[in-house]
Amino acid sequence: MANVAANAELAGQPTLGAPDAPRLISQRERALRTFTSNRTAVLGVVMILVIVLIAIAAPLLVPHDPLDQSVSNRLAPPDSEYLLGTDDKGRDILSRVIFGARIALMVGVFSVALGGALGTAIGVVAGYFGGKVESGLMRLTDVMLAFPDLITGLLVLAVLGPGLEKMILAIGLTIAPRFARIAYGPTLAIKGKEFVEAARSIGVKDGRLLRVHILPNVGGDLLVYASLWTASAIRLEASLSFIGLGVAPPTPTWGQMIREGTVHLALVPWYSLAPGLALLATVFAFNLVGDGLRDVLDPKARA
Amino acid sequence: MTRRRIVAIVLAMAVFMSGALTGLVGSATAQEGDRPVLRFAVNAADLASLDPHFASGTQDRTVADMVFNGLVRFVPGNSAEIEPDLATEIPTPEEVDGKQVWTFTLREGVMCHPSAETEAYELTAEDVVYSLQKSAVPDRSAYSRDYTGMTVEAVDDYTVAITLDQPLSETLFLPKVANYSGGFIVCSQAVEALGDEAFRTAPAGTGPFMFESYTPQNSVVLTANDDYFRGAPQLGGVEVRYIADPSSRELGLQGGELDLAAGVNEAQWVDRINAEGNIVADVFGVAEAVWVNMNVTQEPLDDPLVREAIALAINREEHAALRGEPVSELIYSVVPAQLMPGGLTMEEAEEAGVLYQQDIERARELLAEAGYPDGFSMDLITSEMTDYAANYEVLQAELAEIGITLNLTVVDHATMHAQIREDVNPIVIYVAFRPNANVYLSQFFHSDAIVVEGEAPITNFSHYSAIDDLIEQARAETDPEAQAELWKQANIQILKDFAAYPLYMQNLVYARVPELDYGHELVSSVALYPQITEMTTLATE
Amino acid sequence: MLRHIARRLLLAIPTLLAVFTIIFIIVRVAPGDPATAALGDYASAEAVEALRERMGLNEPLWRQYVIFLGDLARGDLGRSLITETPVIDQIAFVLPYTLELAFAATLIGLLLGIPTGVLTAVRRNSMTDYVGRAVSLVGLSFPAFYLGILLIYFFAVRVRLFPSVGSAPFSEPAQNLHYLILPALTLGLIETAYIARMTRSVVLTILSDDYIRTARAKGLQEKVVLVRHALRAALIPIVSLVGIFAISLIGSSVLVEEVFARPGLGKLMVGATKQKDYTTLQSIMVVYALIIVVINLITDIVYTYVDPRVRYG
Repeated sequence: MANVAANAELAGQPTLGAPDAPRLISQRERALRTFTSNRTAVLGVVMILVIVLIAIAAPLLVPHDPLDQSVSNRLAPPDSEYLLGTDDKGRDILSRVIFGARIALMVGVFSVALGGALGTAIGVVAGYFGGKVESGLMRLTDVMLAFPDLITGLLVLAVLGPGLEKMILAIGLTIAPRFARIAYGPTLAIKGKEFVEAARSIGVKDGRLLRVHILPNVGGDLLVYASLWTASAIRLEASLSFIGLGVAPPTPTWGQMIREGTVHLALVPWYSLAPGLALLATVFAFNLVGDGLRDVLDPKARA
Repeated sequence: MTRRRIVAIVLAMAVFMSGALTGLVGSATAQEGDRPVLRFAVNAADLASLDPHFASGTQDRTVADMVFNGLVRFVPGNSAEIEPDLATEIPTPEEVDGKQVWTFTLREGVMCHPSAETEAYELTAEDVVYSLQKSAVPDRSAYSRDYTGMTVEAVDDYTVAITLDQPLSETLFLPKVANYSGGFIVCSQAVEALGDEAFRTAPAGTGPFMFESYTPQNSVVLTANDDYFRGAPQLGGVEVRYIADPSSRELGLQGGELDLAAGVNEAQWVDRINAEGNIVADVFGVAEAVWVNMNVTQEPLDDPLVREAIALAINREEHAALRGEPVSELIYSVVPAQLMPGGLTMEEAEEAGVLYQQDIERARELLAEAGYPDGFSMDLITSEMTDYAANYEVLQAELAEIGITLNLTVVDHATMHAQIREDVNPIVIYVAFRPNANVYLSQFFHSDAIVVEGEAPITNFSHYSAIDDLIEQARAETDPEAQAELWKQANIQILKDFAAYPLYMQNLVYARVPELDYGHELVSSVALYPQITEMTTLATE
Repeated sequence: MLRHIARRLLLAIPTLLAVFTIIFIIVRVAPGDPATAALGDYASAEAVEALRERMGLNEPLWRQYVIFLGDLARGDLGRSLITETPVIDQIAFVLPYTLELAFAATLIGLLLGIPTGVLTAVRRNSMTDYVGRAVSLVGLSFPAFYLGILLIYFFAVRVRLFPSVGSAPFSEPAQNLHYLILPALTLGLIETAYIARMTRSVVLTILSDDYIRTARAKGLQEKVVLVRHALRAALIPIVSLVGIFAISLIGSSVLVEEVFARPGLGKLMVGATKQKDYTTLQSIMVVYALIIVVINLITDIVYTYVDPRVRYG
């Protein structure tokens, strides 16, 4: 599912328009104001902050140790001690849902950071240098983009094997080509502008040009997509865990819990439903922020 | 311009739709007169092989059981007893030239199912010889090891003589020619006409149901064999559906789309289903044993003190609670005493001093004594399947108590099986049913079977070699009681050496609509499903 | 135009070749062994070895690769390593189910998404707009498998309206549709969210365009402006997006097929991955690659009509 957003945004690209001039500081201030006046986006930020706080303070918040097993008390219905009941090893579901936020955020943030850094580098380098570098890199990108990211993720993970770091790497690699595509277009557009050519003609080095003129201009778009794709990455992690290729036990993850819980849907519905709601809320929060950011950066859509 | 655009869109949609429409050509499900067709969901995404000599997964054993017969058979619903099947009676072995010979007389008039390439024909000794010889060929059978050292000859059309290089007790010999694994008798003409490959998805035997069609990832359809030698089946046929998701199977039963389905092996599930009242959950054998193997040659497990510490950290009740009674029953040796001769009961284990109940304090002391006061850590892989993953996770929590950290990596089931055979796990939790103590002991604790290094590697994950003589002695013993005694000694030795720690055995759980009557009392089945026979009925309104 | 299509198809060949090579390597680098998977845990090492030999897995990798490409060039997708049935038969059987699902989901998406999108765009910043946008944002935040589980819980467990398992053959259309509804709704509702958002954004852009302003200025009724000009202009980019959504749908159907135990390309792929069925897995990926190339080509052609700036020589 995760990549529908990505593709849709890609497809929407021509209608949304690329930045046509370097933005000025005052515009940034105005953008910030626009963003803060966007109530839904602010709601998204607040939600993310709450989820981050929950993840950080998890050890203080949980009523039980999320790893504490008592198999004889498995699949217990909710009561005053176990507010959402217990899982198939007698562990507290609520505590595991709370700790699950850590993995979700970690995978979301790190895989997008990794994919963003890698993808942006590929896109900017391809757009800026052109020629063989461009055709080689962008062909590779297109091949990877061609496949739905669940399928790419599945294959990459099948090779790497399971585990938290590998999950981050797999999702990062899956998302990288999308960033490359986003960074590539604007780089190409800016590269053709007079001020870049002028700068180059007076001997400004490529590295400096990239850093000072190109990257800041690509940055805005990338920020929107980073936020949207953090949502996608979190969902992708859950999907892969749901298929059974998740992070190592006994670490609680939402996708894994939903998977285990479906067997007991009729007996302890919260086993699946609670982590699902947590997952939904987190993905929703990042989407809200991404949406708000887009309104700011793309005046036309706001119109 | 506008019109061209519309044409393009219509074109795009049409290409997409035409793909969907090509699927509209399918085949209709056959109606079997007025006899009902049983809709049966098994726990698998697809079949692996319907050639009974390759059938190893439960889903394949299920179909093999309905399509094929053996010379003798485990009584439907009660696998503790064996009765004649294609043979007219169970023979007693004779000594001929110093060799043991078993001579079987075949029933007359047993008809082989027609296949795509062959007509129905009468099964004769020729087919039995062909079939048992096929079972002995490594690339034509997964069970070839069990059929070597065996000469099969047709004395006449209805007589088959089996000569063994080494004499065997009844306990060990009869299962080889029963309706199980390599003992299933295939119809030679069909195999020869179809070829081994095609036979894997279009089997032909002599059983109450005949293969009709196979739809990948979806179903196998069997129809009643009205020429069946025990009489025409009460059911018109069986549609075996492959549904790997347990909740889907349950919902299918409750929604009236299924009549029988593999359940969830958990007492709580059984209780809930039976409490809801509209469907019935049955718990029956044979149970699979679950136990922990420890590699006695690899550091730090090569130190018996460390293995003892691990054994004392384990609480088998905690593991058994994953399934709950009556689905799970505790076992005190890898060979389950409840199921077969040679296993240890709780009293026997206690008497031999190998009961080993949980004692965390003592376990910590032992670990310190062995030079690991702060414990150690170990990397293990586990299958994603609950039986494995949940037991590894419980073990992880237990060993954490005495300072041993298990880093678990979850892989898919096939990968785990391949990897543990490459010796990646110093500790292997295994879940298995084997038809007798000899197979359990030979495959898991004989030095020949040591993974990677053994002469004929199978599943000796413990690298254990201290009971070879006991196993061989028992194998050659033809007196069943003396044989069982030797197996018990072997089991005691395994536990004394801490090569393995037995946890529990888990029974099978299937759920059905109340209208379904198996036609036999259901106690245990080596076919691992509540056997469907010619006697099975499904009441309609 | 024909020249352009031919050129695109030729260009796709090296891409496809790259995809095949990557997939061929990936499926073999992953740990696990199809022979063990096929024979089960009872099999001896000897039997496993015999099967590996027969499967051709003991051939050097380059030879296996040459054989694979050779077969592929002849249109032979090989046989499953596990069941030994021709892969093409397996795919031919499941593909219609996946396409049916994707098609039904797209239909639901268009039928619900476009009106919602237009409505929220026209009533911009009203309560309808806020609610519509919030709901669609929730919709696209939904992991498909979770929505599937919720639908099963409410419409198959609590209220037994629909079957939750399996599928019916296409020869029984009524049954088939009954089975299709919940899975199609799962994907379709998520699809609706995307299409509604897209439509809103496209309609807003168009409404702010000059010619619409002109039309308004000429005193045309709002409804007429909307239907005669804005909607028509908006429909084309939206429909052209359907191609891209279709690719995504093929991907997300993997999870829905798992949850609903429906036959399909995705379920076949997950099964093949788990059983290490190399030939089936690589052939499925070949089919995916072909589907994607075809959909991209169609989308591309549609774009040519939509956007007059895109011209091919």
